[in-house]
Parts: sequence; structure tokens; C-alpha cells
Amino acid sequence: MEHTNDSKKEAPVTYAEVNDTILKMLEPPGRGWFLLLFTCLFFLAIGASSWFYQIWSGFGESGKSHPIGWGTYITNFVFWVGIAHSGTLISAVLYLFRAAFRQPIYRLAEAMTVFAVMTAGLFPIIHLGRPWYALWLMPYPNQRALWPNFRSPLLWDVFAVSTYFTISATFFFVGLIPDIAAARDRATTKFRKALYGVTSLGWRNSHAQWKHYTAAYLIFAAFATPLVVSVHSVVSWDFAMSIVPGWHATIFPPYFVAGAIFSGVAMVVTLIIPLRKAFSLERLITPFHFDAMSKLILMTSGVVTYSYITEFYIAWFSNNDFERFQFWFRPFGEFWMAFWGMTFCNCIFPQLLWIKKLRTNIPFLFVLSIFINIGMWLERFNIIFQSLTREFIPAAWGGYNFSWIEVGITVGAFGWFGMWMTLFIKFFPSVAIVEIKEILPPPVRNEGHGHHQIAGNAGHH
Amino acid sequence: MVESTSRAVVGVFTFMDDALNAVKDVKAANFDWRMYSPVPRHEIEEVTYPQKSPVRLVSFTCALTGCICGWALAILCSLDWPLRTSAKNIASIPAFFVPGYEWTILFGGLGTLGAIFAFCKIPSVVRTAGYDPRFSHDKFGVVVACSGTQVEDVKRRLKAAGADEVDVQESL
Repeated sequence: MEHTNDSKKEAPVTYAEVNDTILKMLEPPGRGWFLLLFTCLFFLAIGASSWFYQIWSGFGESGKSHPIGWGTYITNFVFWVGIAHSGTLISAVLYLFRAAFRQPIYRLAEAMTVFAVMTAGLFPIIHLGRPWYALWLMPYPNQRALWPNFRSPLLWDVFAVSTYFTISATFFFVGLIPDIAAARDRATTKFRKALYGVTSLGWRNSHAQWKHYTAAYLIFAAFATPLVVSVHSVVSWDFAMSIVPGWHATIFPPYFVAGAIFSGVAMVVTLIIPLRKAFSLERLITPFHFDAMSKLILMTSGVVTYSYITEFYIAWFSNNDFERFQFWFRPFGEFWMAFWGMTFCNCIFPQLLWIKKLRTNIPFLFVLSIFINIGMWLERFNIIFQSLTREFIPAAWGGYNFSWIEVGITVGAFGWFGMWMTLFIKFFPSVAIVEIKEILPPPVRNEGHGHHQIAGNAGHH
Repeated sequence: MVESTSRAVVGVFTFMDDALNAVKDVKAANFDWRMYSPVPRHEIEEVTYPQKSPVRLVSFTCALTGCICGWALAILCSLDWPLRTSAKNIASIPAFFVPGYEWTILFGGLGTLGAIFAFCKIPSVVRTAGYDPRFSHDKFGVVVACSGTQVEDVKRRLKAAGADEVDVQESL
């Protein structure tokens, strides 16, 4: 690989080594993997039992009451959609821009996207209280001949999130097909042979298949790219279209998109560091890749910080008492710790990434990425809770008590997400085989042949 | 392309340029052939399939259909049961941009998936003659269909191009 070969002492990575290293990850799991899976299943059981208890006992168990109609569940929804976001950025946008650091990390980022959307999608349903009525969001000719309100941002969310999930999952699966075929060709057990035989769809790496596949993949990237902008913009309109002080802001769409990329890249770092260590991927995922991700984190941290400052400035500049009070309440009110926690995690701590050494310091990046994820959860908490606790008149003010049901469901969401990630890394190639090979020099007898393509060959086209 | 094809001659290559030279040779001799490679590359495309893929036309058509359907769904549903809000139009064009936009992408994406299936001929349960598991690892393959009398000629051509090994199978 171009960037792993900077050191002249190391032998160049070959096609065979790429297959061997990545497919080695699919070998029968050890005790550590089972421990991780059971931990995730345990968390999931906590979440599932909390949800069933809430359904059985009533939505009052969730701790929500006037004026906090949107609480932990919607915070979690926005958090998980945000986590999902950067996967599409890395897989589609960086593909179109030929970013050289994308290849070794994009598969994991895409998996994260799909599983995070699956997690996010649960929360509006949980939030309904009576989840069987979720069907009413769908535009189908029901017995009352009533259609959903197409002017509501909540319905836009249904369109945005369902499209996002469908396209992300499709893009993810299409990217996997040739790699599953490589796994199929090396499978030894009956189960693996059957699994990869079915899921590789009979892929054969023929020249005609590659031609149509690469053309389609480029188009998929082009379709997925506007989703990066649209999904979190639509989510932000759930808030911005209202008149609640602290929500009614035109900066919300770019602010939410930048925040989503920020948290998503941080989550990629959180996931990829242990994976790299566990499966000895040091020659494929190098300091170059961490440096690039750190720069992306630093840049999006800057955008998020700018957005926070803009919110405060506009609140002051608008001369609107309610807006001004809301933005006074956030840093100095009842929930001041959430505000300052968010500020530290999202604005101050990431500034250390200006130091080049820290951008490739793996333990530091791991800690930072966890802080950023906490900070981004707090950001959504501040937007949702704080705005609702202090609306226009003191008679409408209120507080909020977390219930253990909400905590259980939040923990369960991490278990649900972790379970899918854990299963994925053991059953499917979580680093892209074909795309890493694409950035390697092809084996040629005549050195001049094909060499002109190598330097800039960061993608199919 | 050629007369009755009852044999498949499989050449396994370590080097991409050797495999491409073999393709050029059998192409010029008007044989029916297929190339396998562990990775897509422009150099291979230029020799094997220089035409544009029709996938983009399918994607565009489906995306356009999605755009029309998304807008139509929102407008027609709103007209069917008017939810009047103040003096706002029943068919609120700015608000209906979202369903139109999302369905453009949704239909376009699903159409592209369908195009991959159709043009790449997957899912396929048929075993492909000449395919070798090494073609998804680090080797390039050129498989040539020919009649029994042409086998030796094809073997010679593949070996001359630099094939590591040449094998003869039943048919392509």
C-alpha cells in the first residue's frame, strides 16, 4: 500500500497478503469474541426487558411528562443517526473525492452506518409508547381514507431515514459482494461455504462483471452523497420547524450535519483502534489513516464550535427575550454541567489535535473519541431537554427525572449495535479487500505497464 | 463469435500485463473469451470492455421515476384528504420537496441494484467453467472457448503470453 511503504525497510503489500490478512479475521472466534458478544447480548436483554416493561406498564414509566415530551429516546435517535452519518461520508463522499485514507476504514464505517441506523430507527418506535401504531406513519390507503400530513417534518423523517437505511444497506452489501466471493473461495467449513456461497450471489470477478459493477458503484456513491446532507438536515428540521426557543434556528441543518460527521468519525476511531489491535491490521491501517481522521475530527470540531458561537450570537443579536434567556439558561441554569461537558468534549479537548504527534497517538485518539461521543450525546441533550424545560412562559417551565427504564433502553441500544458489529466482524470482511488491492501497484512483468495509473488510483475511476 | 465451442482453455497468469496480452491475442484471433481479475483496473477495462456500461441509463430512468412518484404521492394524497392550515396551499411545493428528493434517491438506488443484478448476471447458481478460486486472490485468468481442434493453438497462445499454467476444461 502506498502509505505503508513509506519506510523502505518494509516489503510492499501484495494482493495475496491483503487476502490473507483480512480473511484471517474470519477464522473461528476465540474466548474474547464470545465474551464481547455475550456482554452485548446482556445489555440488549436489559434494553429489551425495559422496553417490554414500559409497554406493559405504560409510557409514564419513561419519565417524560409535560413539558418534556421529547426526552432520552429522541436524544438517542438523533445521536444514533449522527453516528450513522460519517459512514456514508467515508464510503460515498470520500470515494468521489478520491481520498486516499478511505479504503482500509470505509467498510467498518459502512457497517457502523447500517447498524447505527437500525438502532436509531428503534427510538421513534419506542417513543410512540404503543409501537404497533408505527404503521400509521406509512402512506397507505387505510380504512379511514386518511393520509399522513406531508407538511410535517416528522413525516419527512420517515422518508429520509427509511431511504437512508435502504440505500446505505444496499451500498454496503454491493461493496461486500466481491469480498464475500473471496471469502467463499477460501472457506473450509460447511457453514461458511454455504453462508458465503449464498451471499456472494455467484460472483466470479469476470471482466464484464467488473465493468458494470464499477459503473454502478460510482452511481451508488453519487446517490448516497446527497443523503449525507439530507438526512441530518431533515432530522434538524424536526426542531428548527418549530417555534421553541433554542430550536427555531436556520443554522440547524449545517450544524447538525457537521456534528453528525464529527461524532461519526469519532465512533469509527473508537471501533477501529481495538479492531486493528485484535486482528494485527497495523500494515493496512497505518498512522497515515489516523492522521487523516484526526484532521477530519479537528475540522468538524471547528464547524461545530462555530455553530455553538453563532447560536449564542444570534440569540443576543435577535433581541428576543426568550431566545436570550434560553442561551443564558444553558450554561448557567439547572443543567449547566451538560453544557460545559459538551463544550469541553466537542470544542476544547479536540483542539489538542493541532499537535501532530497526538494525531497519530493511538491511546490518546481512543480516549478523545470516547469523550467526543459523550460530548455529542450531551449536545443533543442540551438542544432537546434544555429548550423544552424553559419555553416561553414560566408556567410552561419544568424539570425532568430520568427513569431507570430510559437508562435500560439506552444501554440496550449499545448492546443491540454492539451485537451486530461483533457478529459482522467475525462473519464478513470488515476491511475492504478489493478496494485495498486497487490502491496497490498491480503485479506486472513490464514495470512501465499500468504504472501511470497507480499514483492517483484511489478508486475505481 | 466462433464455431462450435466445446472446450474451455484456462490460462492462469501472475502478471496483469501478460494476461492482457493474451486477451489482445485471442481477441484478434476472434475467439470467444473471458477474463478474470482479483481487482478492477482501468488497464483491464480498456482492453476488455471499452464501451460505456448501460447501468447509468437504468439508474437515471429509475431516479426520474422516483422523483415523479415522490411528488405525485405527496400532492395526490394531500388533495385526496385536504388538511387545510391557515391560507397555505394544499399542495405545498416546498414541503413536498423532501418526499420527492428522497424517492429520487431511493428509486435510483434500487434501480441501480437491479441493474447490477441484470448486467452482472447475479444471483447465479450455475458453476462457471474456467473459474479458479485464485482469481479472487492474486492471479489473473483468461478463459478461451474453442473447438477440440483449436485447443493446441489456444494453449500455445496463452503460454506465449506468459501463462503460469494452462488447463483444458469441458466448455465455457
